[in-house]
Amino acid sequence: MEILAQLIVSGIALGMIYALIAFGYQLTFATSGTLNFGQGEALMLGALVGLTLVGHMSYWLMLPLVLVFGALQGIFVERVGVLPAIKTKSEFGWIMTTISLAIIFKNVAENVWGHDDITFPSPLPTAPIQFLGIRVLPMEILVVVGALAIMLAVEMFNRKSIYGKAVVATSNDRDAAGLMGINTGMVITFSYALSSMTAAFAGVLIAPLTLTGSTMGVVLGLKAFSVAIIGGLNSGMGVIVGGLILGIVETTTGYYVSTGYKDVPGLVLLLLVLAIKPSGLFGKSVIKKV
Amino acid sequence: MSAINKTSIVLVLIVAAMLPTIWPNPYYIHLMVVIAIYAILLLGLDIVVGYVGEVSLGHAALFGIGAYTAGVLNFQLGLPFLLAIPASIAVTGLFGILLALPALRVNGPYLAMVTLAFGTIIQILINEMTFLTNGPMGLSVRKPIWLGHQVTGTDYYYIVLVALVATIYVVQRILKSHLGRAFEALHDSPIASDCMGVSVYGYKVYAFVLSAGIAGLAGSLYTYSEEYISPNTYNFELTILFLLAVIMGGRKTRTGPVLGAIIVVMLPNVLSDIELFKVISIGIAVISVVYSLYMLVTHQRSLNQVAIPVIATVVLATSGFFMENITDHRLTIFGVMILFVVYYLPNGIMGFLRNLVLKFKPHWIQRHVLILEHGDKNHVWSVPDHPVTTNGHLLEARNIVMQFGGLKALSEVNLNIAKGTVHGLIGPNGSGKSTTMNVLTGIYKPTSGEIEFNGKIITGASPSKIAGEGIARTFQNVQLFGEMTAIENVLVGLHHTFKHSLIDVVFQTPRCRKEKHTAEVRAASLLQFVGLEALANEEARNLPYGKQRLLEIARALALNPSLLLLDEPAAGLTAPDIKDLIEMIEKIRGHGITVILIEHHMDVVMSICDRVTVLDFGQKISEGTPAQVQSDEKVIEAYLGGSAKEA
Amino acid sequence: MLQIENLNAAYGKVEVLHNISLSVPKGKVVTLIGSNGAGKTTTMRAVSGMIQPTSGKISLNGKAITGLPSNKIARSGLAHSPEGRRVFATLSVTDNLLLGAFPRLTFGREKGDVPGDLARIFELFPRLKERAEQQAGTLSGGEQQMLAMGRALMLNPDVLLLDEPSMGLAPLLVKEVFRIISELKGRGITMLLVEQFAAAALEVADYGYVLENGRISVHGPAGQLKNDPAVKAAYLGAAH
Repeated sequence: MEILAQLIVSGIALGMIYALIAFGYQLTFATSGTLNFGQGEALMLGALVGLTLVGHMSYWLMLPLVLVFGALQGIFVERVGVLPAIKTKSEFGWIMTTISLAIIFKNVAENVWGHDDITFPSPLPTAPIQFLGIRVLPMEILVVVGALAIMLAVEMFNRKSIYGKAVVATSNDRDAAGLMGINTGMVITFSYALSSMTAAFAGVLIAPLTLTGSTMGVVLGLKAFSVAIIGGLNSGMGVIVGGLILGIVETTTGYYVSTGYKDVPGLVLLLLVLAIKPSGLFGKSVIKKV
Repeated sequence: MSAINKTSIVLVLIVAAMLPTIWPNPYYIHLMVVIAIYAILLLGLDIVVGYVGEVSLGHAALFGIGAYTAGVLNFQLGLPFLLAIPASIAVTGLFGILLALPALRVNGPYLAMVTLAFGTIIQILINEMTFLTNGPMGLSVRKPIWLGHQVTGTDYYYIVLVALVATIYVVQRILKSHLGRAFEALHDSPIASDCMGVSVYGYKVYAFVLSAGIAGLAGSLYTYSEEYISPNTYNFELTILFLLAVIMGGRKTRTGPVLGAIIVVMLPNVLSDIELFKVISIGIAVISVVYSLYMLVTHQRSLNQVAIPVIATVVLATSGFFMENITDHRLTIFGVMILFVVYYLPNGIMGFLRNLVLKFKPHWIQRHVLILEHGDKNHVWSVPDHPVTTNGHLLEARNIVMQFGGLKALSEVNLNIAKGTVHGLIGPNGSGKSTTMNVLTGIYKPTSGEIEFNGKIITGASPSKIAGEGIARTFQNVQLFGEMTAIENVLVGLHHTFKHSLIDVVFQTPRCRKEKHTAEVRAASLLQFVGLEALANEEARNLPYGKQRLLEIARALALNPSLLLLDEPAAGLTAPDIKDLIEMIEKIRGHGITVILIEHHMDVVMSICDRVTVLDFGQKISEGTPAQVQSDEKVIEAYLGGSAKEA
Repeated sequence: MLQIENLNAAYGKVEVLHNISLSVPKGKVVTLIGSNGAGKTTTMRAVSGMIQPTSGKISLNGKAITGLPSNKIARSGLAHSPEGRRVFATLSVTDNLLLGAFPRLTFGREKGDVPGDLARIFELFPRLKERAEQQAGTLSGGEQQMLAMGRALMLNPDVLLLDEPSMGLAPLLVKEVFRIISELKGRGITMLLVEQFAAAALEVADYGYVLENGRISVHGPAGQLKNDPAVKAAYLGAAH
């Protein structure tokens, strides 16, 4: 029983990271109906840039710089890869361009930071805290708090500020938003900036818990997609619940079955959800007007 | 097929057969085998990417499944080559079904993501399931021994060549049959496709499974070519290479995949040799600069448009002088190539060449197979697949409610359509007429209520199912298959008359040919009925608006419907055309087809409708004969709005 | 105020508008009538930048706005209440109205008294005030139409385009919509109105244009058009 509780606690931290990346998918999907297939690479770049910066400054000082970097990287992806494809209304186009940008980023990272995984110095004590017999790493707590904080911040921005409302309006009806004087192109660019920023943030949050390297993003990005589908691409609550489900299922599979298989449940859940409720557990199915 | 085409195919085959004697070096022969194997896979991938328009990132994994099925069956069970190959096709096809069924249920980028995840999982499974696959150690397999003769590398080249030619033949046959037409139709207009009984979901799955089966064939051939397989071959990089090959070679062609295969197989060789890379990249840069200058001078492109590709190619060429080791930057180069192809060569090399030819010698290329059958009056009508069995009401819609968020588009609407009548449905804009159409044809699932058609409850059935039951429709905003010719559009409507299977298509059995001929005669006759026989081989998108509406009617009639829904057929027609239309609708009724007619031209409604239902604000406000409805106070009010009295 | 000269527009290859010229003088209400598919909504969309005209010239306040993206046109002072209402379904009524004033709250338009204008809109549409915090998607059709009009007014526009404000509304609500249009006219708001209820539209308008198959066939003062036999036939043909 204690082992199970321990696994659940570790699963929660992992799940929140998935939720955070999945949240990034939702941001761009809402405004433009597109996804960045390089979301995992945005995370990886954030973590590696953070690693380089941490050599010169404290972790806390590095955080805002990484966020800025993430935003810029998102803008780059949108301008080079997504914008031209949106103009020609080509789904094939943006899928292919975001994938090719992803492999370019990965390759560049390999050449800059090398092929090997590197440990990321932890800003918090690495000794676990005992709590009712369950060991929790301080960094795991930071992951949960940090992920919730940034999601909450984005949500508050969307609800309270006029610019945030413009973002929501764009995701509701892009043409009508344009009629309100909202530059919807800018809103989409902005959503990519936000999306890559959250991914970069997720990168520096998870880096101290795992190893950092050019390949760290691929699997995380994929599982986060599963989470976004499981929770529903248009439900904020959905990604958190979806992330927690997947995180816990994975840590338990890793322990009770085999660590080799721990990446399998993500896909199985993804296929199951698509087969049973394609709009996701919390998603609203939208009726398209003909 | 023209004589020139036939000769060139024979010539290419002869050259291909002679290649091993020209380059007897085993290394080259092996490269050619790999090219042929990749080409097989790409032919299948093109069905998904080019025809159906979905992105698959799982074809490397499917290739791997094919390879491992053959490998495991041979290694663990000693199954011979000739049995292992079909087994691989079948197993890979099964995996295709497993992926496609859930992933294609919804529109959007789901297939891409699901197949990407699948690729990762398959690699894990191959690594972990050591008892079957021998894990990371890999499996060794020998080429078969036939009649005491050990098949050599050169022999194997001929085996693969035969497989490639057979694949090209089969894929070509499929894509030129009613199946290929269905693939193109669903890509062109999914909604019209569903309403013509061609299930978008069903045929997308079909296409993906076909494609997976072909990937399985390629994979199993690969096992015997390499004689050793290990999990790491079938990785993400290979998937990217496959996609690059398909789009670079040219989608929707048979030559494109072969060309693409040559490029991606040779590419790693080019990229391992920095000197060769320099030469080629400088060559490309020179070509792109010269071409851009030409475009600039002739004012075909602006400076802004040519700037990026020129800069990119020049950067690529100069980068060659700064890199010591090009293999490390291989993936970046792939990525840049994909970006370049997506933006500047969207139709691939074959598409680019075709456009060049079209510019200078347009008559060399025929985009469509001409169908020259002549129609006649005897072949316009056909007995519906589902004969009408009910007496009285053909269709009864009971208490239909359709809610969008807080908006009630239809509230408690009851509709009884008597057999053999023309039933008008009128009302001001936004009163719920088109919503009713969409509910009746299954595009919307009603929030509540029940629809009984021909004695069957059809509420909640899919549009293609409902079309199959005998309800056909036209659309308010014309939904034709724009890139198909007029007669091909009608043939999509006749899809239900093609009962023959994939096997019949591949072997062109008499049954297949007979059905094809019958359908073409029927299609020509239907075009004649609506007066479009002269435009049979014209692309639908090039027809004038009014003719497009008539073509939609012909296509809908092809479904052999017992109920035909016409959504504003007179919009965009001139007065004499409208007269013809009225005559046409009367003929349709004369052949026992019940019609529901949405129309704003009151003269049309009043002259041909037997009964008229008036909707307003999502409610039925009046029903009766045209005369009754016309004199109804409520109707006048609804139509004239607030100022009824003053007007 | 709004001037359109030789406007042409197409959806793909199909030409929908042919050489449309019309003008909306300051403080006047001009209406565009015609049967379904004549090109009324397309004209509106081309004016507000929702589609790109293929040729022609559109100017607002003497400034050319042809081919600009819709957000820039809105910032120059043109509000468009689109066909089908298009309210932001997941946002509250108040947020929808505030977004109508987006250029005033950010940049591009004089700020003025946004809270005051909001209060005035609520005065004009008391139903909206009752539902101020409700999600716009849950409103009834009539309420959504009020919201779309109110949202467009929040721009303090120089010209207001109203596309089919009565579409899908019960007769009683149609009367209400026209009452509001006359009230806005009384306040001196310049309007271009597209309506299927031609009689009612000509009642409230100063000037009218009749669109037929993408061309302007007749135009003249509203009073004159109302009694023109050809016009009567054109719209009565659709209504009898």
